[in-house]
Amino acid sequence: MSVAVVSPWIIGSGLLQVGLFLLGAPLLVGLMRTVRCRMEGRVGPPIRQPWRELRKLLLKSRSQPEHSTLVFAIAPVVLMATTLVVVWLTPLLSVRVTLSGGSDLFAIVFLLLLGSVSLSLAALDTGTAFGGMGSSRLMTIVALAEPALLVAILALAATVHSSSLATIMLAALHHPIWLVTPQRLLSFSAFVVVVLAESGRLPVDNPATHLELTMIHEALILEYSGPDLALIKLAESIRLTFLLALLANLFFPWGVSFSASGISLLIGTFVLLAKVAVLGVVISAGEVAVAKLRLFRVPELLAGAFMLSILAVLSALVIA
Amino acid sequence: MTAALIVTMPLLASLVVALMGWRRWTPFIGLGADAAVLMVGFIGAFHDLHHRVLILAWANLRVDSLSAFMVIVIGTVSVLASWGSVRYLRHEVDQEASTPRRATQYSVLIQLFVAMMLLAVCAANTGIMWVAVEATTITTTFLVGHRRTRNALEASWKYIVICSVGIALAFLGTIVLYLAAEHAGGTSLHALDWTWLSAHAHSLNPSIVRMAFALLALGYGAKVGLVPLHSWLPDAHSQAPAPVSALMSGVLLSVALYALLRFKAIAVPSVGEMFPRVLLVVMALSSLILASLMLVGQRDLKRALAYSSTEHMGLMALAAAAGGPLAITGLLLHMLGHGLAKSVLFLSAGEMLIDDGTTEIIAAGGLLARRPYLGGVVALALGALLGFPPFSLFISEVTMIRGEVTDHLVWAVVISLIAMVIAFSALATHGRHLLIEARGLNASRVATSRSAIVPLATGLVLCAFIGLSAWPLASILSAAAKLVVS
Amino acid sequence: MRSDSLSAALLALTSGLVLLGAAVALWRRTARGIVQALRVQGFALAGTAVILGVQLHVALLLVTGALLIVVKAFFIPFLLRRLVRLDPTGGESDPVVNVPASLVAAVLLTLAAFVATRPLVQVIHGVPITLAPFGFATVLIGFFVLVARRRAVSQMVGLLLIDNGIGLVALLLTTGVPLLVELGGTLDVLLVVVVLRVLATRMHAELGDLDLDALRELHD
Repeated sequence: MSVAVVSPWIIGSGLLQVGLFLLGAPLLVGLMRTVRCRMEGRVGPPIRQPWRELRKLLLKSRSQPEHSTLVFAIAPVVLMATTLVVVWLTPLLSVRVTLSGGSDLFAIVFLLLLGSVSLSLAALDTGTAFGGMGSSRLMTIVALAEPALLVAILALAATVHSSSLATIMLAALHHPIWLVTPQRLLSFSAFVVVVLAESGRLPVDNPATHLELTMIHEALILEYSGPDLALIKLAESIRLTFLLALLANLFFPWGVSFSASGISLLIGTFVLLAKVAVLGVVISAGEVAVAKLRLFRVPELLAGAFMLSILAVLSALVIA
Repeated sequence: MTAALIVTMPLLASLVVALMGWRRWTPFIGLGADAAVLMVGFIGAFHDLHHRVLILAWANLRVDSLSAFMVIVIGTVSVLASWGSVRYLRHEVDQEASTPRRATQYSVLIQLFVAMMLLAVCAANTGIMWVAVEATTITTTFLVGHRRTRNALEASWKYIVICSVGIALAFLGTIVLYLAAEHAGGTSLHALDWTWLSAHAHSLNPSIVRMAFALLALGYGAKVGLVPLHSWLPDAHSQAPAPVSALMSGVLLSVALYALLRFKAIAVPSVGEMFPRVLLVVMALSSLILASLMLVGQRDLKRALAYSSTEHMGLMALAAAAGGPLAITGLLLHMLGHGLAKSVLFLSAGEMLIDDGTTEIIAAGGLLARRPYLGGVVALALGALLGFPPFSLFISEVTMIRGEVTDHLVWAVVISLIAMVIAFSALATHGRHLLIEARGLNASRVATSRSAIVPLATGLVLCAFIGLSAWPLASILSAAAKLVVS
Repeated sequence: MRSDSLSAALLALTSGLVLLGAAVALWRRTARGIVQALRVQGFALAGTAVILGVQLHVALLLVTGALLIVVKAFFIPFLLRRLVRLDPTGGESDPVVNVPASLVAAVLLTLAAFVATRPLVQVIHGVPITLAPFGFATVLIGFFVLVARRRAVSQMVGLLLIDNGIGLVALLLTTGVPLLVELGGTLDVLLVVVVLRVLATRMHAELGDLDLDALRELHD
């Protein structure tokens, strides 16, 4: 299938998916913040607070550090663009949502990596100490987390002999027994760790910190302001939502629509929203109980995730 | 009946001791039980010889001539060790180095230890044997740590961890062998039974048996003190009280070797001669070389003796690898001779510790002049260990080597001879330092009490007697060897 | 593996959990986390026994399962927990082999176990046998823990991992060795752990610590 079969249906449902993520992702971040505040006994901001912040940022004017180049200027756009393409390519609402053949896991991991790399290049480009530090820290994490993610999905792919996400989900739906194999168990554990690391949550990074010594992600984007910052924040929240949705769909694929009807698409949408919301609540509840790891322990954590994902592949080979 | 009797006597002894608590004569209870075991072992051996076939107790215990011979070995050495324990314990309690409670604990554990070794050799099936061998580890750990010093603690920790690992491997091997047996039509306990296994050895699946044997060799090899899981041995032997070292070195290692002999006899018909032989030769030679090299630099007598045990176990494992009738007969005889000589030496080291307070070779030098009787015993026992006639180790070593040559292991024999020469010279040097050169303690003569010398002398006389006369063991040995010759 | 039967899938899951437990025990640094991993393994082992018992209608396996729960999921973690309390500094502060390297080692060991058990899996067919490599991998990881960790508790954990791996192999390969032997095995492990605990308590009294590096007197 070298030529993608493009029908209005596919375009439409793909756009629906992208729109849903664009609108919903900041709300998820708001939800997670609120849950966390409530569990810590604080009232917390309303769920739509991230949108308010974005609006505020959008109204501000852009600013660019002296001596920085084009790399700095386009990084937010690249990040946003790759993120949106990833969302568009991945079967999240319906397995028929995408260009067929496009939902390849290698392509998705590559695009995610591209976004991270552009951001860390931009941080280097500013020439500030924090930018360099954040960039090196991010690369340490990404270098471990991305392979782990890839291998974790590979373990699932090995079971169905295809690296297409749609095929993986369909196979799991058709053979419910496959939902409880050891490779899924191992791969799921790896996946969770990677998602936490990728999305800059505890115990790897604290999204709420601006303490120089410990911050990873905030250091990267310290020089951005205005609409650029808004773009980055939005893209990041979409990435978090995307990873949670991927986690939900790969390991709990029920509810994903696989017919071309509007009803099933609607059901798929609601089920996905519910799944992602539940995962978000669980993660932020977990974060309350966890302390941030010391930075040099983070590679250890991710190496663990990597080990689990390789064990998952090995198990898949043994059981196959 | 006999088998049950053999195992229950030391068990009863330990029960009685446990109930009575410490009295000055309690150690004699164990001694009596062990002597009785020795007698029953002889009876069992002759029974089997006269084709009253197998002496069955319950279905899971059985004494054939090999088991009977092992019972004799265990009985002999444990009589010596229990005899030595009498003096050891009285001294400990008198000096208040040990509370009566711990003396009781010691007496109970040492008889339990003997009982578990007896159970291991009388077990009719591999599972029970495994349980028994593991139980010996558990009982001896506290015995090794009896002195409660920091070093004793380290030794016992190392001992139990390494031996448990070894024995865990052996369990895995037992399971895999069981799988092979089940696959060949055996059911439940039958599939673990020695006689069933050897009768059906031909039909066992070779690739499974190969895996099982490798695991078993490594596992029980740890207990024999063979490379690669050997490092517990010098520590445990040097830290344990002398009678315990005597028992461990004299028989515990041999009991594990007995297991290897049995398993090899089952593995060979299935996987062929080559695989078990290569595995055992490698383990045996590396242990031999390692032990003889380590022997050179030792400063402590008990540690040196421990390495010498590894060396002798290497020799025996080589004979086991050869597997011919001559080699196996030599091996079995060597078990007995080595057990006697080694326990006499360990008990002598215990005597040195009691009066001189040290077993450092240099520090305790000039033993022959200071304590002529004890020195004489040590000299003779070292001679026995080094393979001088008339002691039985001379004959058994010659027999093993002849057997290995007949079984086409000439090159391994050459290597082993080199290692033996190194070990010989090292041990001889240590002997010279210990016996003749007085550099450490001042050369005041200490009288050694007769009660200390009698058991030691008995052991030596026995060892020489076996070396000189074939009676009564020759027939038992050949019958026993027949059971595991491949 | 034919994945159409529920019991086969559940067996695969419990075996995977045993391996996961081993991996986590290697991964976590806190003694509490490691003990928790052992408890999960204990439950997974018991689950294996029960599933096999139900599938093959062997009542004795259910008894084994109950025994495993009592010993491995409750009693042994309980013993270890009390020991951990003696050791307030907790886990492995400075392991001989650092954690990422030992994780790589674990992967290699698992691979080795999977390769080594190939003949076994090829000769005899059946779902349980194909899962035996998980047990072997757990055994090897246990060995690694034993060699690479120098705290008293970690070494006990290593032994227990070895034992759990062997337990899994025993259950899967032979659908239960004769119960007598199985019982002997479990009891022996229990005794070994008890003995080690006594020694560790003594060690604590003697050294005020549970670090085996403090015990380095005996060597040549």
